[in-house]
Amino acid sequence: VRGPRFRKLKIGAGHRLDVKASGVFVLGIGHGNKLLTDLHNCHLTKVYTVGGLFGKATDDFSDTGNLVEKTTFDHITRENLERILAVIQGTNQKALLMYSNIDMKTQEAYELAVKGLIRPMGKSPPIITAVRCLQFALPEFQLEIHCLHETQQYLRKMVHEIGLELKSSAVCTQVRRTRDGVFTVGDALPRTRWNLRSIQEAIQNCQLKVETELERTLG
Amino acid sequence: RDGGGLRGAMAGPARRLLLRRGLGAAAGPPSTRQLREAEEAAPVFQYAGKAAKRKDRVFVWGFSYSGALGVPSFVRPDAGWKKPRRIQPTPYRLETEEKISSAACGYGFTLLASNTRDITKVWGMGLNKDSQLGFQRSRRDQTKGYEYVLEPSPIPLPLEKPQQTRVLQVSCGRAHSLVLTDSEGVFTMGNNSYGQCGRKVVEDEIYSESHLIHQLKEFDSRVVQVVCGQDHSLFRTKKGTVYACGWGADGQTGLGHYNITSVPTKLCGDIAGVNIIQVSSYGDCCLAVSDEGDVFGWGNSEYLQLASVTETTQVNVPRHLPFKIGKVKEAACGGTGNAVLTEEGNVFVWGYGILGKGPNLTESAVPEMIPPSLFGCSDFSPDIRVARVRCGLSQFAAVTNRGELFVWGKNLRGCLGTGRMEDQYFPWRVTVPGEVMDVACGVDHMVSMVRSFT
Repeated sequence: VRGPRFRKLKIGAGHRLDVKASGVFVLGIGHGNKLLTDLHNCHLTKVYTVGGLFGKATDDFSDTGNLVEKTTFDHITRENLERILAVIQGTNQKALLMYSNIDMKTQEAYELAVKGLIRPMGKSPPIITAVRCLQFALPEFQLEIHCLHETQQYLRKMVHEIGLELKSSAVCTQVRRTRDGVFTVGDALPRTRWNLRSIQEAIQNCQLKVETELERTLG
Repeated sequence: RDGGGLRGAMAGPARRLLLRRGLGAAAGPPSTRQLREAEEAAPVFQYAGKAAKRKDRVFVWGFSYSGALGVPSFVRPDAGWKKPRRIQPTPYRLETEEKISSAACGYGFTLLASNTRDITKVWGMGLNKDSQLGFQRSRRDQTKGYEYVLEPSPIPLPLEKPQQTRVLQVSCGRAHSLVLTDSEGVFTMGNNSYGQCGRKVVEDEIYSESHLIHQLKEFDSRVVQVVCGQDHSLFRTKKGTVYACGWGADGQTGLGHYNITSVPTKLCGDIAGVNIIQVSSYGDCCLAVSDEGDVFGWGNSEYLQLASVTETTQVNVPRHLPFKIGKVKEAACGGTGNAVLTEEGNVFVWGYGILGKGPNLTESAVPEMIPPSLFGCSDFSPDIRVARVRCGLSQFAAVTNRGELFVWGKNLRGCLGTGRMEDQYFPWRVTVPGEVMDVACGVDHMVSMVRSFT
């Protein structure tokens, strides 16, 4: 029998990645779509590298939007930025505990809080579990953000709000997802390798990781 | 609007008018070059200059009806339709005239002190039924004083050199307060029925609307720390000795008897000859830390605070507590529970009540460590350490080196500041808009000194 190997493929997409962002984008093929839903229910964190620029404020928080205001930024130091990041982490930590729907008065809640395993397992607003400043060279800076249930526009808005807290303004120049649950940049296929063979290899490589993670979280 | 069509339809003079108005210019979205030029021509705003300093602020929260929070509009609203606010559940900024360097919360009142050289150095607010805030002259009747002070009011200290002396620290107990200065000793005011103000007990003395502020100067060296228990006072001198006066029925004066003492007397027992670097008390139990990191305790032990060395419930001589938890840096004594901070930055708790390790741990005679992960220490940020630990009557507060405030314990009338009214069984972050420098805990309210971010 001759003909193309696959006639129709059912492809599903994992967590959204908008037009201006880049990075790891998970797709499921055929039976993998069921695994996609299961992975979504695991509520694992995603890691982004976000680049920002001080001195400008735009209407859509990115550097391609319409200019709203320009400000000075020479009073900003790395310590100031790290202090704001510590507070952001703190308030989001509180949100993490509150949206996880566990009764704070139980011993079980205390045990989970000690291990750091409290996580919202249902719908919740975007929560940032960790932020770190990777590079700082005025006017540019780069952050590594670990988050849950977020959208890329929320991350850009966060960069804008960091600028406001530091009594200046900031726009987001780059949003790049470096990790989506168990899939990292190392597992991702670059454009040059978008062919059947590489896709099959990648699926096989990730199979074990996905299975262990699903078993650990969903039991 | 179709510019071409309009031009075609109009008569000659109208067309020239349109051209002159510039409507004939290129229609459509501005090009990249025009955008860039517009951007470069835009004005630059400056919100903070290069030498912008971080501002020091005071935040208060808890029960407000006694006036202890210092916000009059909570008790007496300024508009007719507004309702009085009985409890302030989250941190609220208090405007102060000067930078506050030391604060203390008593039982329904607060003292704020600044180490300035100006004439007004100490402000008080809250309950004043025993003149624990000095004499606050009423504006309506010049012969009477206020029983409740609703906003921070200056306390007139009888200083010899008011423009040179600085106030170092303040402390508040149930109905008395102590003010420590750098060169004029300690000033005490308030209730003296047990001699806690360091002067002889006068029978049937009326404490309300009293002008009397007593000065204490006779110690072996300069006093560097003052601490108020519920009805007793402790003084720590530069040489490392501890003096006490006040009520002693639980042995909290540590002088070997259970009577009241009206003159500050030196403590002996296990701390004789030991250089004490910190003392703490709030209820009827007292803790002291030596320079070598040892902990000594005396006073009430009904809640297992000193059960590690003795079965008696009242200990009237300082005893060494042989804990093997490392070198202790700071101790904090609450009503029924105690906490210590070690050099490594770990917090240990023991006693009775909500200790901070979940609802199952309600009492312990030996210190239990609170896991550092509850204070934010994780693989991502491994160098977070607790820098300060403080105790109120039934709650604890810890400040980390990153300036974050964690509280736990009984949430009496919203004093934890978490925004909820439930008790908190493990350390919980309080959202404060700034870096927390220090916090003072009372029975049902708390005051914190915060520095803004930029």
